[in-house]
Amino acid sequence: MKTKHLGLASLLLGASALATPALADVNIGLLNGITGGAAAMAPEITKSLQFAVDQINEQGGVLQGEKLVGIMADDGCSPQVAADAATKLVNVSQVIGVVGPLCSGALMAAVNSATIPAGVILISQAATSPEITTLKDNDLVFRTIPSDEYQGQALARTLLDRGTKKVAVSFINNDYGKGIAEAFKKEYEAKGGEIAGYEAHEENKSSYRADLAGLAQGGADTLVLLDYGDTSGLTVLREAIENGFFEKFVGAEGMKTSAPVKAIGADNLTTFMASAPVSTKSEALDIFNKAFAEAGGDINASYVGPSYDAVFLLALAIEKAGGDKSKLSESLRAVSNGEGEPILPGEWKKAKELITAGKAIDYKGASGELNFDANGDVPGSYALFKVAGDDWAVETEMK
Amino acid sequence: MEWITVLNYPVYLAIFICIYGCLAIGLNIQWGYAGLFNAGVAGFFAIGAYASAILTSPWAEGRLGGFDLPFPVGLVGAMLLAGLLAWPIGKICLRFRSDYLAIVTIGVAEGIRLVARSEEWLTNSARGISAIPRPFGDLPYAKAQLVYLGITALILLVAYVLVQRQAVSPWGRMMRAIRDNESAAQAMGKDVPYRRLEAFILGSALMGLAGALYVHLARTITPDAIDPMLITFLVWIMVILGGAGNNRGVLLGAIIVWVIWSTSEIVTDQLPSEYALKAKYGRMFLIGLLLQLVLRFRPEGILPEKLRKESREERPMGEQASATQATGNIIN
Repeated sequence: MKTKHLGLASLLLGASALATPALADVNIGLLNGITGGAAAMAPEITKSLQFAVDQINEQGGVLQGEKLVGIMADDGCSPQVAADAATKLVNVSQVIGVVGPLCSGALMAAVNSATIPAGVILISQAATSPEITTLKDNDLVFRTIPSDEYQGQALARTLLDRGTKKVAVSFINNDYGKGIAEAFKKEYEAKGGEIAGYEAHEENKSSYRADLAGLAQGGADTLVLLDYGDTSGLTVLREAIENGFFEKFVGAEGMKTSAPVKAIGADNLTTFMASAPVSTKSEALDIFNKAFAEAGGDINASYVGPSYDAVFLLALAIEKAGGDKSKLSESLRAVSNGEGEPILPGEWKKAKELITAGKAIDYKGASGELNFDANGDVPGSYALFKVAGDDWAVETEMK
Repeated sequence: MEWITVLNYPVYLAIFICIYGCLAIGLNIQWGYAGLFNAGVAGFFAIGAYASAILTSPWAEGRLGGFDLPFPVGLVGAMLLAGLLAWPIGKICLRFRSDYLAIVTIGVAEGIRLVARSEEWLTNSARGISAIPRPFGDLPYAKAQLVYLGITALILLVAYVLVQRQAVSPWGRMMRAIRDNESAAQAMGKDVPYRRLEAFILGSALMGLAGALYVHLARTITPDAIDPMLITFLVWIMVILGGAGNNRGVLLGAIIVWVIWSTSEIVTDQLPSEYALKAKYGRMFLIGLLLQLVLRFRPEGILPEKLRKESREERPMGEQASATQATGNIIN
């Protein structure tokens, strides 16, 4: 008994002693989904985050040459784990800002119970739920990834422009599917389209014939399918084609994978299209891709661009604010608002010199221009893709 | 930095220990006293959390409520609803014994999770409910947390005292008798199914209360927050490790398990990043290992249940009579 208590006490003491930050370091928290639902994406995201931190330190660090230290914490893609980790980052590691978390539910809990009350800025690179837009955040929550809402709206406008006036919508029952479906429905109906059938379906069922038959009764010949092409989306698509429930199919980025093309065949998918975010071909993206590939990263992995941008922007804001925590939001908007000398990924030294000289700068990230709106969101650019051979090709740009 | 901000993390840790303490005492009534293997703790936690969220959050379009009621109403509502729903569930499920009951309760909890995920009119499905108020939540960070710790600690204390009184009363002895020898208790004229149902409802109401306390801390609830890994299994480990049947034991279990779970990350953060990533999984391993060690070397838990179980041979002859009476008392 005694020894057990002593052991625990020494563990705690050890933990608090170790956690005291070394002097002259600027700590930022990196909340990353290392375990849990997003774990498959975490290794490459980690590389990208670390790559940004290393690059900044190699080019002189932040402020008076202080080292930027990224403290990696696990959001577990779960509200409890993320809130616990955020509380530790904010209070034990005393971070000045946080990058992450990956999952929307985890973000909501982390910001409500730790970062907003503590006045710490948070930039997420992957949480896409539209709920985050309306959060009361004292201007402390930002994203380098567009909200699902934008893609849903863009998809609705594009379909109407192409003359499709009546559709049925089937979406996967999670925050991704629902968020994008709601945004689509709202915009589509507002612009004069007719929704003839609007149904959620559960993940990983063995058959969706009953769901599809119900949707087909509405009389639409186009099915908007908001799901993942590797799992249930594939099943829905195959059954809809086999049974002739619909003639045309439109998906979002979750459907734009190689699985449907391989499993169903390009010949059967001539009427299938999918929208997806496109990193507008830019100099910034090329520079990032080249440097990240040289550092051993996979440039095609999900969210690596937005992750890098989030760290780089946070560091720019810290530099601009002179390390003053209360001015970070204001500074973040100032370093990326479309005005000033353009800064590309990797140009830390140049940015630092310009900030010191008091000149305005404008960061152009690997994932886009990243000019934040009033809610801390960034607009996205999307394109509609069609199946061409074994791959996808751009059909049209989306507005 | 102010001294008060240094306290933020320990205070947060303590709030979570109080919430898990509530869950652990609830499970202790069911498993420790009545011997009911409830593997659906997360389900009752979810009922409480959503009930309080719907009752106290401001009005929102597209889902039930919010009714914008005060915090205490949310807590009471959460307990009542969790208890009320436990009644029909218990009525059906408690006919099963031990491992069969576990299977059925896992199923029920999963059903509740799917309802929370799918029923938009009720729970706003996958997006969950946000803007849930926290009492005195407008105070500065550190103070708001301290006040909330005070509230949760007080509630936990009240729950502990009430349950402890109940456990040492004839009711507690009767429950243990039913747990240890159902036929004997029945022969003494006890209504076994009714009493088991009673323990199930009482325990579930406390789990609902814990859910409500969590939801006002996080101020948001989404279906991912009712993950069985973090609710059901962690609570079971707390109860087994601390000592089933002993309220102080399960509270100690809650402290040990949550402190290890949460602070181990601070230690692993000091490792170089390539190891730190792997070490995050080590936390789960550590908790599992702890359970294995306890089950192997101290299956009764750190603070085992206290029973008046002196063997007759050790007693002087004169006390025989009173000893017999004491045995009778156990099945009172």
